[in-house]
Order: sequence, then C-alpha cells, then structure tokens
Amino acid sequence: MNYRAIAALKASNPTRVDNIESPVPVGEVRPGLSRRQFTRAAAGTAVVGAAIGSALWTPVIAAPKGAFAPVPIPGGSPFLGGSYHVFGPAAFDPIDAEPITITNFDGFAGLAYVSGMVTQTNTKTGEKARYPFVDSDMRFMQGNFRGTDGRIHQATFGFI
Amino acid sequence: MDVFLPGPGAQIHDLNPTTFPPVGLFWTIQIADDRQGDNGNGVDVNLGTGGAVLEVSNAPIFDYGDINNALFGGGPAPVPGTVSCKVEWQGVHQRVNIRNTDPVFGGFAGEFIRNAAQMQWTATVGDFVFESDALGTSSSSFAEIGHERNGVFFP
Repeated sequence: MNYRAIAALKASNPTRVDNIESPVPVGEVRPGLSRRQFTRAAAGTAVVGAAIGSALWTPVIAAPKGAFAPVPIPGGSPFLGGSYHVFGPAAFDPIDAEPITITNFDGFAGLAYVSGMVTQTNTKTGEKARYPFVDSDMRFMQGNFRGTDGRIHQATFGFI
Repeated sequence: MDVFLPGPGAQIHDLNPTTFPPVGLFWTIQIADDRQGDNGNGVDVNLGTGGAVLEVSNAPIFDYGDINNALFGGGPAPVPGTVSCKVEWQGVHQRVNIRNTDPVFGGFAGEFIRNAAQMQWTATVGDFVFESDALGTSSSSFAEIGHERNGVFFP
C-alpha cells in the first residue's frame, strides 16, 4: 500500500473514499456513483478501460498449504472509509495507530514505507525501463495468534 | 510494491497478495518461516539492536496497476505473478511504549523501536520482470519494529 497513491486517490474523490460502507463487490455498481465514474474521477482523465466483470476476476488462494486463518483486526482506517482492515501509521493515520492486520495477536511486528528504484524488463521485447517504487508498505507479524478456530497458533506473516 | 512513472507520475504497478475485494485479511499472507533453511524465508527480530529482517521468496501476488483498482476494482483484471523481497530494519531512533485504547486506532499495546528500513525485491508479472536496485540504495520514510499484543492478548 502506498500513501502517496492513496492520498492522490482521496484528493481526487474524497466523497467516495470517505463514504465507503463496504468495498464495492466485484460486478456491483453502487447507486449514485458507478465504478466507471469513480475510475474517471480518480484518474482525473477519461475512463480507463471498460469495467471488468466478476467472471474475469478469478480468485487464487495465496495462502500456503496448511494455512490456518488468522482473524483480521476489527477496525480499519477512517481515511479509507473504515472497511478495510488496515491502518497506515504515520502515513494517513496517527503514528500510534495499529500497525498490524491480525487481531488476537501476541508477537513481533514490523512496518516500513520503503522507496527506491526498480528496473522493469519486458521479457518479450527485451525493453528495459527504470522506475521509482515509492513508499512501498512492507510489514511482518511473527508470534502467537488465536485463529478462526479459536485455538492459539504460531506463525509468521508478511504484508506485501 | 508500488511502482510509479518517474517524477510525480502516475502509479503503474500495484503488487499485493490479496484477491479483490480486499475486505478480509488485508494484503497479508502466511510465510513459511525457514530463516535457518535453504530458502531464507521468514523473519528475524532483535529488539536489542533494533534489527529485523523480513525475507519472502516467490510469494504469489497480483498486479492491480494502481491503488484505485486494488481497492475498488473497475479497472483491468489483475495480473498474477510472484514477488521476492528482503527488507531490513536497522538502528534505534526512538523507543516508545504504546498502550492505545482509542476506539478507532487502538486496542493494542506494545514496545516499539522507530528506526529505518531498506529493501530489495524482484517480481515477475506477465511479460515483465522487475529487479530493484541493491538494498543499500533504498530508504524509508517511516519504519518501526516491536512487540505487540492486541485482541484477547490486549492487557
């Protein structure tokens, strides 16, 4: 997550970001502001592509084998409308805001907003380009947590 | 990972591991902690020195293009890929003990070290391969490590 991008997003459409009751499910158009309209407002340009239907958004489970589910923190950043279970300490939330994404947790945690340069290579054409990565939000959690099964587990998590 | 066009340019890549919409566990994946093994995956923390390392190999991610598409959808379908990274936290700029009971931002307590972090990473997404500059060339605008308790462990 990147607070430069989020700040730009909010600046381009504060009403949309502030009034999130829940993120728009795939394929749903919220009354009063279509996803296309929002995209246009956020980008500050013409509509970017056509809306993609849910059928094309095939979920892929990213968790490794044998994973057990931790429980997300109950709240979320007001800056993002409160529906996403994450805060941005020292970015768009107070510096002492909750830095992790798992609740019922007892362990080590880390957070960093890191910037640098990256080289992008197109493997088909060989074309290379240099770009900045800006305030990439990297976090970890390592320790004990009570999972959705009500039991205490020990694991390590990365926030990428 | 958040990649932008140079200058005050637009975001062109937003890599994160969560399927849309990100309403559950936010951009967080379990990683096999094998810091002593061959792949180096996992986390090492030393709160005495302020040091920590997060290392992840070939984590599955999606490239949503930008934060707007990652949070709200409506843009191009995300492109699957993988990312590997090493993040290092170093130093002790400030030690803080936090007990945050704020109903919005709080519900946790912990002992934290505010310090600095650097990262190097690689990724493969569609036809693109990404390779960051060396870890030492990166910098952080904010970094902290610590030990915290929340939820049922909140004292």
